[in-house]
Amino acid sequence: MNLVFKKKKISALLAIVPANERTFEEDMAKFNFTTARSLKLKKVMGYDRHRVVNDSVCVSDLACFGLQFLFDRGHLERDDFDALVMITQSPDYFMPPTSNVIQGRMNLKRDMLCLDINQGCAGFLIGLMQGFLLLDQPSIKKVVLINADVLSRKVSIRDRNSYPLIGDAASIAILERSDDPSEIPANLKMDGSRCEALMIPAGGFRLPSSGVTSIMEDDGENNFRAKDNLRMDGTGVFNFVQVEVPPMIADLLRIAKVSIEDIDYFIFHQPNKFMLQKLADKMKIAYDKMPSNIVELYGNSSGVTIPLAMAHNLSEYLIKQKMTICFAGFGVGLTWASMLLKVGPLTYCEIINYP
Amino acid sequence: MPNFLNKLAEILEVDEVKREDVLEEFENWDSLTVLSIVATLDANYGLNLTSGDLKKVKTVGELADKISSHI
Repeated sequence: MNLVFKKKKISALLAIVPANERTFEEDMAKFNFTTARSLKLKKVMGYDRHRVVNDSVCVSDLACFGLQFLFDRGHLERDDFDALVMITQSPDYFMPPTSNVIQGRMNLKRDMLCLDINQGCAGFLIGLMQGFLLLDQPSIKKVVLINADVLSRKVSIRDRNSYPLIGDAASIAILERSDDPSEIPANLKMDGSRCEALMIPAGGFRLPSSGVTSIMEDDGENNFRAKDNLRMDGTGVFNFVQVEVPPMIADLLRIAKVSIEDIDYFIFHQPNKFMLQKLADKMKIAYDKMPSNIVELYGNSSGVTIPLAMAHNLSEYLIKQKMTICFAGFGVGLTWASMLLKVGPLTYCEIINYP
Repeated sequence: MPNFLNKLAEILEVDEVKREDVLEEFENWDSLTVLSIVATLDANYGLNLTSGDLKKVKTVGELADKISSHI
């Protein structure tokens, strides 16, 4: 469906990544493949290193660390926002919502909305859409959109299909009303019939975690993972992205009456460099307009890769000037969404390490 | 189809492939190879085969025929 928003903006952005870094070479030792094949995988997919949390770190830890940083630096006041929207697939608990956990830990005011949304690779886009809708309420002047995942904790270290690319991260985007009267076009599609392409089969109510769900199984291709672990149909996801994303972006640009040349940057979810460059080829977008370096530097942290790609590649511009950015997210659900948004100048745009 | 056979040999890191060669018997036949083939077919022929489609074919010849039938 096509959506349109008006007079909304991202006013500031902070990304939080774990200081703990792993290299592909360290990961290789756990895979059941020859060194030559692993190095081939590294080269083709563009893997190098990734940031993962130490085992006990939760999304609220990353989020609270980031919020405290913003409060300490005077970038955000504790009582100055009216909604906290938390996008995550790795909540601290099934109940209560992680947004409430954060509200309590940070002593936030009671006169506010805390809302968790279970969304993955397109989560930043869904979060923007939800945040912009909330800002239509006169009482809601500022929304804090937190996107965070620590899915490395659910990926088997012996699964070459998913482990070398997984990353953990959080982002905090401040959303506010804007004076710019131009329309913000967006679009969104979902296909639950393919929901098993990316999933963690066990640990919910359908298949609770047990001794059985923790047993490591060969996926038939020398990757070992349990039902408690994240699994991904890599080829299926590749096809989904190559088939669905180019027409989605073409539609968005057509509705906005702009061409590829009018867009300063295409900031897309970062599954891996290989998939992004194939997308860029197909859509005839120059590689330097579509950054694809997040997985090799930080790993794929689901929806957080979009704000991370923005902060890593564009922060020096975004704190000074306005840029026209085409955002796209695609993955878990399956969900695919895009938005054309003018971003900047931001009051701050940084990446910090979680110790 | 000679272009595809050359490309397949390149992906499998062998000098050449013959129609009767069995895909699974190549030393480098794995999920990375399957993804590379899927990506090549998408980029060069606009074809979107799934890994399930590829599992159904046994030999290089059957794969080439399957691609021809989709083009």
